[in-house]
Amino acid sequence: MAKAVKICLAGEGGQGVQSVAEIIADAANAEGREALYIPNFGVEQRGGVSIAYLQIADQPIGAPKFDKADILVALSDRAVRRCKQYVDENTVYVYDASIEGVEDDLPKEGEAKKVLAIPALEISKNELHPRVFNILIMGAVIGATGVIPVDAAKAAIEKKLGYKFEQNPQLRELNFKAIDRGIELMK
Amino acid sequence: MSEKPITGEKRAFMTGNEVVAWAALAAGADIMYGYPITPQNEIMHYWTRQIPKYGRKFLQTEDELSAGFTTVGGVLAGLRAFTATAGPGNTLMQEPMSMAEMMRLPTVTIVQQRGGPSTATVIYSQQEVTLTTMGGNGEGLRIVYSPSNHQELFDYTIKAFNTAWKYRFPTFVLGDGYQAKMRESVTLYDPAERGIEMVPTEKYVGKPGTPGVDRDPGHYRNTYNTEEELFEVLQKHFADYEKMAPEVVEYAQEAVEDADLVIVAHGVVFRGVRDAVKELRAEGLKVGYFRPITLRPFPAEQLKAVANKAKKLLIAESAQGQLARLIKDAIYGASAEIVPMFRPGVGITTEQIVAKVKEAL
Repeated sequence: MAKAVKICLAGEGGQGVQSVAEIIADAANAEGREALYIPNFGVEQRGGVSIAYLQIADQPIGAPKFDKADILVALSDRAVRRCKQYVDENTVYVYDASIEGVEDDLPKEGEAKKVLAIPALEISKNELHPRVFNILIMGAVIGATGVIPVDAAKAAIEKKLGYKFEQNPQLRELNFKAIDRGIELMK
Repeated sequence: MSEKPITGEKRAFMTGNEVVAWAALAAGADIMYGYPITPQNEIMHYWTRQIPKYGRKFLQTEDELSAGFTTVGGVLAGLRAFTATAGPGNTLMQEPMSMAEMMRLPTVTIVQQRGGPSTATVIYSQQEVTLTTMGGNGEGLRIVYSPSNHQELFDYTIKAFNTAWKYRFPTFVLGDGYQAKMRESVTLYDPAERGIEMVPTEKYVGKPGTPGVDRDPGHYRNTYNTEEELFEVLQKHFADYEKMAPEVVEYAQEAVEDADLVIVAHGVVFRGVRDAVKELRAEGLKVGYFRPITLRPFPAEQLKAVANKAKKLLIAESAQGQLARLIKDAIYGASAEIVPMFRPGVGITTEQIVAKVKEAL
């Protein structure tokens, strides 16, 4: 039985992890695959770590949340600490290279399948634009998992942000560049 | 104005709350009464966003007592009326729902369970099972469906209106915060196109004609003077309920024939159970599942048959034994040993179920 690919995205509010999960889930659904996305939610209006749980499969998906992720992306120091519980030796662990002070909280040798620091914040700031940071992360997730083809990802972005691209076609180019750059980071 | 909300089969990808709103539209619900509470808020958001196109109505009340009683009032006026609530709101909802039981009113209530007791969490639980099946100062004269995915949430919300109006008992769809907030695929359809006929509604009050001349007077009571009078009325309700039960009861079971251990779970927890059984069977372990779809009336005979064959019943629920109480009552005297897996207010994953079964076997 081919199991669902389990993806956990965690960051600070405003970093866009929820919209990344939603766009990937939407794209997978449009491809005719099964997808399930659930955000964490609580009473705090702001200030909490935002976590998105995403699963993609070829058959109906089981429980909405899971114990261990196949890929985990942590985008802040608090996200690193909060998400320790989702990591085991089969997890590809991705975190932003700019996060400081988490040396003791990152998975040690043998505790994860792979641990990758990616300079996503820096690239989005210096090469692209800070507002496409989450799309760069989306590219990294797709690059790491291959859960959806890049064309499907771009179509889903078009669907979600098409109305903005109408007004400013450069935005489309910027977003698509961010996706490609994100995928490249995982190669 | 009265164009159909859905034509043809539409595959959609949306939250469970959105699914409920579409199901109520598709079922021809006339009006929703409600008061906001997480995690069911978006049901009323999506409902109010859609209804101007289809001539339906919404009334926001001052609390859930009022939302329940106005739903009762809508039904008395012959409207296909519904409400939605959760947690402490469900607590308040019990008084109007008791009245609906006493007067046999076909209200429909969607419950998206959150953590309890009290305000607790706005997130998720299966801790409103006792309240939803047996709440109020009565005898649980109600029907409760427990869906496990978005398709069922759609199907059973439509079905709830028909069960309610056919049998005239208050009917509930018992979801939870996970089902409310998660997104997954669902196929929306117009019930008529699938051959599902909506049971017509009927006015209780304001009927045409002169009472006593053209028709019998409407005599709807929730107050009785003597003990004997109440006793007599209740006997009739119980008889109707018992007659209805076999027609309404729904359940699913798999791999129970030769099973040493059968997992019993309902609602969203069943999703992980289904996968766990597949996994455990693939390893050659004799494990099956039984899933009540109606929690009230409960598939008692069917589960008792299973509980007399299997050595163990593992009860998995996101509550401290609320499903287990329904089960113990249903299977009293059966030979299977009960193994509890109670995780109040938190989700249960496939991995956890697999591990628990291996420990119990």
